[in-house]
Amino acid sequence: MFKLIGAILLISTCGYVGWQVSRSYAHRPVELRQFMSALQMLETEIIYAATPLPDALSGIAERVDTRVSSFFAQAAKELKTTRGSSAREAWSAALDRYRADSTLDRGDLGILNSLGYNLGISDRDDQAKHLRLTLEQLKMAHARAEETAVKNVKLWNYVGLLGGMIIVLALY
Amino acid sequence: MNGVVQVKPGMHSRGWDEVLPVLPPNLEKMIARLPDHILARLEEIRLRRDRPLVLGAGGQDFFLRRDGQPDSIPESAYITSGDDMEKVIHNISGASIYALEEELRNGYITLPGGHRVGLTGRAVLENGQVKTLKYLSGLNIRIGREIKGTAAALLPRLLDQAASNIHHTVIFSPPRCGKTTLLRDLVRLASSGVPQLNYPGRTVGLVDERSEIAGCYRGVPQMDVGVRTDVLDGCPKAQGMMMLLRSMSPDIIVTDEIGKMEDIAALEEVFNAGVRIIVTIHASSMRELTNRPALKYLLQLNIIQRFVLLGRSRGVGTVEKILYGNEVPPRR
Repeated sequence: MFKLIGAILLISTCGYVGWQVSRSYAHRPVELRQFMSALQMLETEIIYAATPLPDALSGIAERVDTRVSSFFAQAAKELKTTRGSSAREAWSAALDRYRADSTLDRGDLGILNSLGYNLGISDRDDQAKHLRLTLEQLKMAHARAEETAVKNVKLWNYVGLLGGMIIVLALY
Repeated sequence: MNGVVQVKPGMHSRGWDEVLPVLPPNLEKMIARLPDHILARLEEIRLRRDRPLVLGAGGQDFFLRRDGQPDSIPESAYITSGDDMEKVIHNISGASIYALEEELRNGYITLPGGHRVGLTGRAVLENGQVKTLKYLSGLNIRIGREIKGTAAALLPRLLDQAASNIHHTVIFSPPRCGKTTLLRDLVRLASSGVPQLNYPGRTVGLVDERSEIAGCYRGVPQMDVGVRTDVLDGCPKAQGMMMLLRSMSPDIIVTDEIGKMEDIAALEEVFNAGVRIIVTIHASSMRELTNRPALKYLLQLNIIQRFVLLGRSRGVGTVEKILYGNEVPPRR
C-alpha cells in the first residue's frame, strides 16, 4: 500500500518537474510576443506623440499584459525617482529585476538590454531605427523560441512522467 | 516731455534652487555651497564640454575652482566633463531627446519655473533648414528672475484714464537693458489692475514667441503675467496676434521684439479692431528706430502714443525717456 502511494507521489513529482520545464519553453514565445507589442507601442509613443520616456513607459505598463507590465512600470519608476540616472541605467536596472521571474533566455535579454543603450538619447528618426532593429531581432528570437518550444514542450512532459516511472520500476 | 523714472527692483525670487536640481549631484553641491550674496545674484551657469565651468552673477562672470571656491582665473577651474553634460541634458529632457526636437531647433529649452537653457552643438540640416542639434557641447542655464514692481512707477504715465485702458506703447532699448522684465511686469499690472490708480485691469492677449515673457512650461506660464492674460506660447508674432484678435477678444495685445513688415501689418489689424498694443523693439535711439523701414512705417501711422526708452544709466531697467506720441516729429 505504502509502496503504491510512494510510486504515485514519485511519478507525479517527476511529471510536475517535467511540466514546469516544458511550460517555460512554451512561455518564452508568448513573452517575446508581449515584448514585441509593447515595443511597438513605445515606437508609436516616440515617433508620433514624442511622449517623454517616463510617461511613455508608464503608459505602456498600463496597457500591456501583467507579466511584461511589471518591467515597464519598474523602468518608468527608476527614471522618475533616480535623478541623473540615464535611460540606459534605468532600463538595465529594471531588466535585472525582471530577469528572475522571466522565461527569456540570455540572448533575448541581451537584445532588450542593448536597446537601453540608445533609448532617449537621439532624435525621433534615430529612435525609430533602433526600435525597429530591436523588433526585428526579437522577431527572429521569437521564431527560434517557437521552434524549440515545439520540440521541447512534448519532450519534457514525457521525460518527466517517464523518468518518474523508470525510477519507480528501478526501485520496485 | 522727457522724464526719468527710477525703477526700484522688487524682491528677488530665489530662482537658483529651482535650477540646481538639473545639474549632476557633484556640481549641484559645489554651487549650493557658494556664499549667499553670490547665489542671490546668480544669473547664468555655463557648461561647455571639456572646458572650465563659468558662472555669471551680477553682470560679471567667474570660474569655479575644483574645491568650490569662486576664482577669476581659469587655471584651476572645474572642467565640465562629457558625463556632466550628458546628465544635465538627461535631466532637462526627461531622458528623451526626441521629445525636444522643436526646442533643439530653436536652440533653447524652458524649464519649470520659467528658467531657460540655451543649447549649442552640431546642427543637423534638412533642405538647408536646421532640423535639430546633435553632439550638444554648450549649455547656458539662465536663471529667470521675476522682478515684480519694475513697471509700477511707469504705469501711471501709460494709462489712458479716459478709456480706462493702456495707451498704445512701444518700449525700446539696446539689448540687455531689461525690456523683457519690464514688459512682463507691465503685462501683470495691465492684466490684474491697480486699484490705487483706479485702473481695474483689462484682458490681455500675449504672443510669447520665444517663451521669454511668460516663461511657459508645457503651455502654462511660470511667471506671474496677471489674472486676465491669455498666452500664446511659441507662436509666430504676426500669426499669433491675428489668432488672439479673432478668438480671445483681448483689450490689449502684447508681444516683444517686433521689426518685420508682417508684424506691422498684423499690428495694423489690431489697431483697426480698437485693441491697444504694448510692444518692444530693439533700438538704442529714436533715430535708429526710424531708420528701419518697417518701423518707420509704423511711426507714419501716427498711432503710438507712448515711446519708452530703457537704458542702464542707473542699473538695468532704468527708464531713460518717455516720449508722448504728439512729441514725435511727423516723418515722411
